[in-house]
Amino acid sequence: MAPVRAGRWLVAVPMAALAIATIYPLVFTANVAMKTRHEYVLDRFSPAEALRWDAFATAWGSADMGRYLTNSLIVVTGSVALLLLFGSMAGFALSQLRFRGSRALFLGCLAALFIPFQVIMVPLARTMGQTGLIDTYPGLILAYVAQFLPFTVFLMTSYYSGIPAEIIDAARIDGNSTYGVYGRIMLPLGRPALLSVGILNALFCWNDVLIALLMMPSAEHRTLMVGVTSLRGQYSADIPTFAGGVLIAAVPVLVLYLFFQRQIASGVTAGSTKG
Amino acid sequence: MLEKETGSPPPSAGTAVVGPAEATAPVAAHRQARGPRRGRARRRPLAERLAPYVLVAPAVLVIAGLRLYPLALGVNFSFTGDGDRNGQAVGWDNYAILFDDPLFTESMRNVGLLVLLLPVAVLIPGLLATFIYLRVPGHRVYRSVYFFPAVLSPVIIGAIFNLLLAFDGPANALLGAVGLGPVDWLGDPGVAIYAVVAVHVWATFGMALVVFLAGFATLDASLIDAARVDGASLPRVIRHVIVPGLSRTIQFVVVTTMIGMLTSMFGLIYVMTGGGPEGSTYLPEYYIWFQQGQMSRPALASAASTVLFCVMLAVGLLQLAILRRSGRED
Repeated sequence: MAPVRAGRWLVAVPMAALAIATIYPLVFTANVAMKTRHEYVLDRFSPAEALRWDAFATAWGSADMGRYLTNSLIVVTGSVALLLLFGSMAGFALSQLRFRGSRALFLGCLAALFIPFQVIMVPLARTMGQTGLIDTYPGLILAYVAQFLPFTVFLMTSYYSGIPAEIIDAARIDGNSTYGVYGRIMLPLGRPALLSVGILNALFCWNDVLIALLMMPSAEHRTLMVGVTSLRGQYSADIPTFAGGVLIAAVPVLVLYLFFQRQIASGVTAGSTKG
Repeated sequence: MLEKETGSPPPSAGTAVVGPAEATAPVAAHRQARGPRRGRARRRPLAERLAPYVLVAPAVLVIAGLRLYPLALGVNFSFTGDGDRNGQAVGWDNYAILFDDPLFTESMRNVGLLVLLLPVAVLIPGLLATFIYLRVPGHRVYRSVYFFPAVLSPVIIGAIFNLLLAFDGPANALLGAVGLGPVDWLGDPGVAIYAVVAVHVWATFGMALVVFLAGFATLDASLIDAARVDGASLPRVIRHVIVPGLSRTIQFVVVTTMIGMLTSMFGLIYVMTGGGPEGSTYLPEYYIWFQQGQMSRPALASAASTVLFCVMLAVGLLQLAILRRSGRED
């Protein structure tokens, strides 16, 4: 596999340019956040004169981002915990236990995978309103669980179906009930898949804005991403602070990406090789 | 059948499977005479027999109650009225209003544009993945770099590009340096939708790239080597070795990219243009949100939801049909 050398470099140049184009928007934003308003107005591109963190501090303090961050953390933690619990339970049952209707239930989950949120958001918002769940943490958590559960069940089912039945039989002979098999065998064995699906779901919930806008109308319940959308209006004359607020919201994702890039990629591609 | 002796039957011996073995077992026959439930299942404690159902119950309840049921509810709801006529059956009125609304027809035109741009959105990551697979210098770095924007929220990406595409921002400065522009990226009705779609493609091509690379990992490398040794040019290798070998991956990328374009651009539109200028960047999802949340016309929004669902279904089935056929020809 050795293409002509010159050809390889010919391709490498635009690819490197694209890589720079992928990173530059973030670098630009970080640079803007370090500038004073005066510096920004004078020259957008010059490197900031000094490493200044004022913009971040202002965005954090006056834009209430601390509260938004707390809201996001509560909702993401709750959603991911429930998604992993429900997803692994259903994945175990659908892949390893045989029972009446299991095939139909799996197909039902698969069908739900292809119902986008936009199609059901109106009736869902009404139902949430009627049950008093709108504008509450449990309401938003439930909406996220409903949104990402079909994907989670699908992934856990396909992961668990790769576990040999002998392991489960052996555990039963040792006197485990079905629940015992789930708790002592399937949960520990499923750790790689649970980690991957968990991180992916955390990203989905963290990044979402549409569901959060719909389910959490009041200002004090804003998630971080909804908070970011309101920054622009708040700091339309103070671009460095705006940039600082945007970056604060991006940092947790950047950290997650640096540590778990492999797990994220494997979750994204899981459906492609088997589907 | 070791489990029979241990009194702990395997999961595979659930109530759904009643083989001839049970009929000959005297105990089972006795039980069968007494109750409606037959066979070995009786010997398992009730808790064990119910276990699979208990395990799937939360997932099934959530999915059925909060995804499948709302779909039916929404379709039903789209045939009732808004405001004064709340709850009354109005037949196809909402759909008539919908297709008279220039905002909605604009959003459907934009869907058409997305479908036309789909090949580009698939081709770019496909080509890049091919080069990375062929170990272009620096291939190790590209994958991590290209994938990164795909994990960022559309809200953050939209906010960043608000700065970059501002009238006096870097994009226009770059154009100015080569004597072009300036372009009003987000303010010109003829340009804004392309700007938003381009940002979406920039933000998500890493996702498709990673999927393509996973597909390449399943490809038989010796085939490509053999073709190269035989002197086949890169375009020919792509056409005759890589594309047929990746048909399933390509299918997956096409469908997921289309779904992504139709359902995950809300954040970008919301932050970058708010549907403007002059409604030129409306997509059905934004229209639904606007009618539901801002105009308090949920029944009309439901009708738009139903149309969106039908469009997605049609586009998905059409793509599958086309891809199947082209796959067979190869």
